[in-house]
Amino acid sequence: MPKVTINGQIYEAEKGRTIIQVADEVGVQIPRYCYHPDIGIDGSCRMCLVEVKGAPKLVPSCATPIADNMEVRTTTERVHQAVRYAMEFLLLHHPIDCPVCDQSGECWLQDYYMAHAGHDSRYPLGQKTRRKKAFDLGPLVKLDQERCILCTRCVRFTRNVTKTNEIQVFSRGHNSEIGVFEDKPLTNPYSGNVVDVCPVGALTSADFRFKVRVWFLKGTPSVCGGCSTGCNLRIDHSARAVGGGIPGYTATDGEIYRTVGRRNVDVNKSWLCDEGRLSFHSLQRWPRLRYAMVAGEQKSAAELIPEIHQRFESIRAQHGDNAVAALGSAENTNEALFLMKKYFKGHVDFRLGKEVELYQQREDELLRRLDKHANTRGALDLGLDRSRLNGFHGARELAERKEIRAMWISFHPQLVGDDSPEIIADLKQLIGSLEFSVLSTTHDFDWARSASILLPMAAWSEEKGTFTNYAGRVQVTNRAVMPPGDAQPLHVYMSELLKLSGIEAASNPSVVFEWISSEVPAYTGMSYDAIGLLGQAAVQTPEEVLR
Amino acid sequence: MTPVKGGYAVDVPVINVSAQARRENATVWSTLRGFAVTLRHLFTSLFKGDTPTIYYPEQTRPYSERFRGTHILTVRNDGSLKCVACYMCATICPAECIYIEAGEHPNPEIEKYPLRFDIDMMRCIYCGFCVDACPEEAIIMSREHHQSVYERNETIYGIEKLMERPGIDAKGPGYRPNRPMAEAKIFNKAEQKECAFPSVLEERHPAVLYESMIRRRQ
Repeated sequence: MPKVTINGQIYEAEKGRTIIQVADEVGVQIPRYCYHPDIGIDGSCRMCLVEVKGAPKLVPSCATPIADNMEVRTTTERVHQAVRYAMEFLLLHHPIDCPVCDQSGECWLQDYYMAHAGHDSRYPLGQKTRRKKAFDLGPLVKLDQERCILCTRCVRFTRNVTKTNEIQVFSRGHNSEIGVFEDKPLTNPYSGNVVDVCPVGALTSADFRFKVRVWFLKGTPSVCGGCSTGCNLRIDHSARAVGGGIPGYTATDGEIYRTVGRRNVDVNKSWLCDEGRLSFHSLQRWPRLRYAMVAGEQKSAAELIPEIHQRFESIRAQHGDNAVAALGSAENTNEALFLMKKYFKGHVDFRLGKEVELYQQREDELLRRLDKHANTRGALDLGLDRSRLNGFHGARELAERKEIRAMWISFHPQLVGDDSPEIIADLKQLIGSLEFSVLSTTHDFDWARSASILLPMAAWSEEKGTFTNYAGRVQVTNRAVMPPGDAQPLHVYMSELLKLSGIEAASNPSVVFEWISSEVPAYTGMSYDAIGLLGQAAVQTPEEVLR
Repeated sequence: MTPVKGGYAVDVPVINVSAQARRENATVWSTLRGFAVTLRHLFTSLFKGDTPTIYYPEQTRPYSERFRGTHILTVRNDGSLKCVACYMCATICPAECIYIEAGEHPNPEIEKYPLRFDIDMMRCIYCGFCVDACPEEAIIMSREHHQSVYERNETIYGIEKLMERPGIDAKGPGYRPNRPMAEAKIFNKAEQKECAFPSVLEERHPAVLYESMIRRRQ
């Protein structure tokens, strides 16, 4: 392997990698606008110039492959000067829009100006070139041509990643500008990513625009709950999710404002689909269930749990263990489903429709998959498809034959798309044919009111736990905001029930996962620490699971 | 200076209190002198009318041009709000009393404007940081400080009340660091009223003299 010296320190790196890639890996900061690890090299911004011993001129580090015994310097006066001049050119016609610009606070122009330039503009403010401002490129993206620095990240994204080629550079020289053809707006299902890759405020999200300034936000790393791909993302929510702030008078009410793709080379690179990106809005589609309900009356969930346990126990005593079963959801975490399996002694299923057939099938070539549940694979790994319930329809038949008399049903609506109306109708029938039914759900659905006991459940982004994606990769989904009212995560309810039945079960998901890893063969040797931010592949290969 | 035990410096000037007291002790003479001062003021105020009393609230003391009273939202020449909802004031505000909701302006040159701009005057500590932070001079302070209301929620001022209210007219603008007062148009009135001292007071009035003295010192 070639040896490279960067700022006097010798590193070994793979052949064929560029200087900036090696620098990123070893933690040497090189400023850049046009270089993005997932969209290919352009070399147009001239910000990443570095000094290489023997080269007569400075070289762009994003486009220069390393060679053996190369000596790179990134901190010399010559490099600083080059970056300063590049910044001055980039800012020459840049408008002073920072007060109204959505990017300010996370703008790379602001950051690099403060770090590397710090000059006074030599160009009169009134003579800056005016261009078209704030117009739609597509339903999700707005463009401001004045702010654009022509790094062409967005152009290369549509060319290399989605291969739809909507965004182009028009005109030449000083007149060149980014745009789309009038009859071909930016409508591809991954259009939101161009906002993420834009280093300046030229491309802004129509959905997030002007909702809140970014410095009020706190980012929580998490995993998308929209489909079985399990894309890594960052949930940006108001900073005081846990208490604090004056409700209604500060922007700190524990609200999610946007989600941004988080780089994970093994799952989603840096991308998110638009459906998944906007899926957090779907939690607001119906009113949330805030308190437990029994026959239309508000009750305290904590007081109801012993009551529920007693009912289940008396039915078990009367009709045997088989008469009590549970229906999980493929949107529940591994921890919740595992504890559920323990409490209901294996009589647990999760299949509402065709999740198992669909969870590995692609919807398109990039990310999206047809199964819109996040944790189908996790439920399969826990063995929830092997009970005698045989899916949701099997459970219904058993309930109609009075072989099952009491059931806990957990229902989390799909974050992307709608649950099919047949499933809802069937769930209602199932509840009707049961002697005693507990429905833990996230929203206050009309159809759910017929259940004996209605419990509020924490939704995606309100609980900590693990999801297993289609390929068996275990990833942590984090709590970003607090659940509304009395709502609790399902694994908390389950650990309470297990404690009542005499089994010591922790309510802390990381402790529950230790239990899982000791019992489930696919997760042997895993822990929350080992999973970390980027997830960890399970022991099985995907071929083994395709049955 | 060498610190001695206990940390005090040694060569601090020492005042001999008892000697001073002996010099100034009360005698008949100094008592009479005190009465004379009192009587002189009594008679001058009785017969010459030269009294420093201000008949508040009919008369008020002149407030400084940098007085930090309740806020004013300034307007452009066409009468629309200058504020672009950049949240700088809400960010800097140590009392967290400013609440803004931004909206998309139909004019792409302006782009952003506040749909809601509330200041909770009960939370506000009148530090003037919002005025310092504002990049557009859209928020300034007035010299108004009376806030008598019947309901507590009336102290939350919305856009309308921050733009225009009777109090601003009477007292005029206060703290605004960037520009001399006469230059800018403050509220959508055709003319900005001269906010001078109350007309009852004469130029030689002590309050006026005090004000001019302070200005000279500046």
